[in-house]
Amino acid sequence: MKAKVLGILALLLVLCLFMAITSSDPWYKLTSGTFLQPNNVENLLRRTSLYGILGIGVAFVIITGGIDLSVGSIVCLSGCLLAIFLDVSYQPFDNQTVLEIRAAKQQIVVQGDAPGFHERDRIRYFGGRRARPLVATISRIKRADGVTLIEVDQPFTRDDDAGHVAKVIEVTSYEQRDEHASPPRDAMVTLAGEHPSLARRDQIVLLHPKSGLNQQVIRAVAVGQQVTRLTLDQDLGSNFSDAWVAVPLQRRQRMSIPLALATVLTIALGLGLLHGLLVTRMKLQPFVVTLCGLLFYRGISRWLVNDQPVGFGNEYVTTLSPLGRGKLVVWQWEDAGHVETFGLPYPFFILLICAFVAGVFLNKTIWGRYLLALGRNEEAARYSGINTGRITLLAYIISTVLAATGGILFALDSNQVPPSSFGNFFELYAIAAAVLGGCSLRGGEGAVIGVVIGTAVMQVLNNMIVLLRISDELEYAIIGIVILLGVLADEMIKRVAAKRRAKSLAN
Amino acid sequence: MTTTPPLLEVRQVGKRFPGVRALHQVDLTLAQGEVLAVVGENGAGKSTLMKILAGVQSPDSGQILVDGRQVQLDSVSASIASGISLIHQELNLADNLQVGANIFLGREPRRFGLIDERRINIEAQAVLERVGLDVPPTRLLAELSIGRQQMVEIAKALSVKARVLIMDEPTSSLSTHETEQLFRVVKELRDSGVSVIYISHRLGEVTELADRVTVLRDGENAGELPREEISHDNLVRLMVGRDISQFYARRPHEIGEPLLEVSNLRTPTWPQHELTFSVRRGEIVGVSGLVGAGRTEMLQTLFGIDRALGGTVKVNGTRVPAASPREAISAGLALVPEDRKQHGVIVEIGVRPNIGLPGLRRNQLKLGMLNAAVERRDTQTMIEKLRIKTPTAEQIVQFLSGGNQQKVVLGKWLTLEPKVLLLDEPTRGIDVGAKQEIYGLMEALAEQGVAILFVSSEMEEILGMSDRALVMHEGRITGELARSDLSEEAVMQLATGRSDAA
Repeated sequence: MKAKVLGILALLLVLCLFMAITSSDPWYKLTSGTFLQPNNVENLLRRTSLYGILGIGVAFVIITGGIDLSVGSIVCLSGCLLAIFLDVSYQPFDNQTVLEIRAAKQQIVVQGDAPGFHERDRIRYFGGRRARPLVATISRIKRADGVTLIEVDQPFTRDDDAGHVAKVIEVTSYEQRDEHASPPRDAMVTLAGEHPSLARRDQIVLLHPKSGLNQQVIRAVAVGQQVTRLTLDQDLGSNFSDAWVAVPLQRRQRMSIPLALATVLTIALGLGLLHGLLVTRMKLQPFVVTLCGLLFYRGISRWLVNDQPVGFGNEYVTTLSPLGRGKLVVWQWEDAGHVETFGLPYPFFILLICAFVAGVFLNKTIWGRYLLALGRNEEAARYSGINTGRITLLAYIISTVLAATGGILFALDSNQVPPSSFGNFFELYAIAAAVLGGCSLRGGEGAVIGVVIGTAVMQVLNNMIVLLRISDELEYAIIGIVILLGVLADEMIKRVAAKRRAKSLAN
Repeated sequence: MTTTPPLLEVRQVGKRFPGVRALHQVDLTLAQGEVLAVVGENGAGKSTLMKILAGVQSPDSGQILVDGRQVQLDSVSASIASGISLIHQELNLADNLQVGANIFLGREPRRFGLIDERRINIEAQAVLERVGLDVPPTRLLAELSIGRQQMVEIAKALSVKARVLIMDEPTSSLSTHETEQLFRVVKELRDSGVSVIYISHRLGEVTELADRVTVLRDGENAGELPREEISHDNLVRLMVGRDISQFYARRPHEIGEPLLEVSNLRTPTWPQHELTFSVRRGEIVGVSGLVGAGRTEMLQTLFGIDRALGGTVKVNGTRVPAASPREAISAGLALVPEDRKQHGVIVEIGVRPNIGLPGLRRNQLKLGMLNAAVERRDTQTMIEKLRIKTPTAEQIVQFLSGGNQQKVVLGKWLTLEPKVLLLDEPTRGIDVGAKQEIYGLMEALAEQGVAILFVSSEMEEILGMSDRALVMHEGRITGELARSDLSEEAVMQLATGRSDAA
C-alpha cells in the first residue's frame, strides 16, 4: 500500500515538473511559467481540496467493496439546500397585502387592520400586476370586516388585485459621500421619526416621484431625537434631494448559518443511512442503490429550485462565503504597483482536517480496521464477531456527509448553483481519484493520503489541458487514458511483486 | 467411568436438510487434552457436525454439553464463548491486514479510543511463539505462505482461549514441511491441555495424530477406535462396509474401440503428474478418490476449462486441441459438472433456454437469429426421454427438484449427441429415485455407444456402475480396477495412496 502511495506521488511530481517546464520560457526559469504562477497554484490547491473531500468519502465506500455513485447529486442537492436555507429576502416593515385597487375611486383595499396606517401618512404602492407603483398620501382610512379601505390623493393607472403597500418616510436631510474630505465622509440620509427596528444590513429604497428609485444597503443606524440617521454603502447620486422619500426594507434570512449548515449535513447523514440500510438490510447492490440516488437527488434538486440557478449574491461575502472562496494570505508582494498575494485557500484546511480525521479513523481505530477486514474478507470479519452491517452503514454515511461538505464548499466557491449541471460527473472524478490513489474496487484496500494525491493528479491533468491549450474536447479522453495507464501500471507492478513473492516462498 | 464429565459431549444430535438426512443420532465425546479424529467418506456428515459445534448451523435434535452443562450454540460467538473454535477449510483471514491485526480482529485492545498496536504486537508475539511461528506480528498476512497463514489462524483461535480446536482438513493446502510443523503444534497444544477435533481424509495423518477416532457413515456413528486399534485397514473397514443395494442393474453389452484416449495429460493443479487412460465405446468408467484427489480438475482439463500443460487427448482417433470448452464440445465431449447450480444450469431461467443453450450455435438461423422451433422440439424430446418432471418447458429451473435439475443438465448435452460424456458427481444431492433414473440413463447411453467417464465420491456408485474404475490420489492415477477386481477395500486402499493394494 505504501508503495502504491509513493507511486502516485511520483506521478504527481513528474506531472508538476513537466507542467512547470513546458509552461516556462526559457524552460529552466520555472517561476516564469504560468503553471507556477501564484494564482494558478492557489486554484489548483482549491480544486484539489474540494474534490479531495469527495474522494475521501467515496474511498470509504470503495474500501467496503461497494460504490457510491450519488456523490455528484449529493453535491448538487446540498448546494441547492444551502442556498434555499440561507435565502435572504427584503420586505418593507409595515407591509400590507393589497386585495383590490379601485383606480377610479383612488381606493386601495388591504387585508387586515393595517394598524400602522393613519390619515396623512404617505404610502407606497408597488408590486402590482397591472397598476404602476405609486407614492401617495392617505386622505381617508376605514377599517371594517377584517379589511381596510384606504383612499389616497393620487390616481392609479389601472385597477388591480395584487401588490403591497408600505409606509413611506420623509428624508429630512442628507450628506453625499466625499472621499477627499478629511476625514472622508460616507453617504448618509436622515429620516423623520425614530425607527429603532432598523438595523445594519437592512436595506432602504429611496424614491422620487419623477427621478426613480435607488436601493441601498444600510451600513449603520443611529437613532436620535425624532430622527434616524443611516449610513449607506453607496453614493446617493447627483440628483438626490430631500424631496426623495424612503421605504426601509427589513432583511430576513431563512435560517442562521450554523443551523443551515447543520441541517444540510444532517440531511446528508440521513441519506447515507438510507443508502447503507438498503445495501446491508435489503441486500441491494450498492451500484443500483446509489445510481437511483444519483438520479433521484438530481431530480429533487431541480424541482426544489424550479430548475433555476440559486445562489448567495453578496449576502455572505464577509461571513460564510470565504469558507469556499477565501484564502489565508501567506505571502504578499508588489508587482507594477499592484499588491499581489498568495494564500492557502480555506477549503485546503478543511481538506487537511478531513484527511487527518479520516486517516486516523481508517488506520488507528477499530472501525477502520473492521472496514479494511470486511472489505477484503467479509466472512472472516463476521466470523470474528464483527457487526459487518453496521460498519458498512457507517461507510455510506461518511461518504454522503463528506459529499455534502464538499457540496457546501463548491456552492460557496462558485456562489451560484445551477441545479442541472452542478456536480455533474463529480462521483466519477471522486471514484477515479480513489482508484488512482490506491483503492481497489474489489475492496479492502485504500489509503487516505493516496486519494488526496490522486485528486491532485486529476486536477493537474485538468490544468494541463487548459495551460497547454489542448482542445477542451479532449479533456475526458486524456483523463481517461491517464487513469487507465495508472491502474494498468499498478496491476503490472503487483503481478511482478506477486511472482517474486511466490518465488521467494517456494525457495 | 470417570467422575468428571468430558469437556465436550454431543448427544443424539440430528440434522436434516431438504431431502437429505445429514446427521442422525450422532454421539461424540471429547476429553480435555485429547486429539479426536473424525473420519468418514465424503458426505458422511463430518462437516455438518463441525458446523453445528462452531455455531454456524443449529441441530434439529439432540444436546451439546460443555463441562457437563448443556449449551446453546446458536451463533459463532456463542461457540467461541463456550471455548470452541473452528478453523475453516478455507482461510478466514483478511490478508490485507497484518498478522497481529488478524489475530485480534474483532477484539482489538484500545487505548484512548485508538487501537493499541503495541499491546496487539506483544500479545500476538506470545501466541505466535506458542504455535511456533517465527514471524513478526507486523508482517502483512499476504506475505506469508498458506501454511503459515493457517498457523496464524490457529494462533487466533488460541488467543481467544479456545479449549476445543476444530480443524477441518487443515493440511489440504499445506506442504509436507508445513504439515509436519502443524503436527508438532497440535501435539504441543494437546500436551498443554487443549482438545483438538481433527478432521482429515488422510488416514496417515489420523494414524499419527489421533488419540481416538470416531467414524461417521451416512450421518450416523459407524464406530470408534481407541489409539491402539487405529490402523489404516481398521479405518477403511469402518468407513465403508455396507451392503450395496440392488439398483445398479447393469446389462451386459458390447464394448467397442477406444473413443477417448488420454495420454500424458498434465493438469495445471498437479503439473508434476501425467495421466494416461482411455474409455471405450459403450464403456462406463468410474473415477474414484478422495476430495481433492484431482478428479474434477482432470475432467475440467479434458473439457478445456483448465488449460492442459501437456499430453494429448483423442476423441474417436482425432486429436482434440482442447484449449476451450467450445473445441471440446465440437470434438464430441460433454461435461456434466459437479456444481450443478454454479456451472450446470442457469437456475434463474427456464428449462427450454437451458436445454437449448449448447445447441444455439449449431441451430442458429441466418444472422444469428434463434431457431426457436428446433429448441422447442429438442426440449420436448428431452423432457420425454429423460422424464423431466416439469409443468411446462418454460418452468424456471430453480423450482425443479435436484434430480430434475440434473436431468436438465444431461438433457442440454444430449441434444448435441456427444460421443464421450464426462460426469462429475452425477447424483450429488438428489434423491434415490432420481439416482436410479440417472443410472438407467447412463446405462442406456452406454448401450447406444457413448463412452462415459464419471467421477463419484460415492463408493456404491463406483462399484455399481463402473465397467472399470480409475482411482486417484493426490493428482495421480494410483490404480485401475476391472469390474471383477472392484471392491470397496481395494478402492479405498488406492484412494488413500496405497498403490500396492491392487
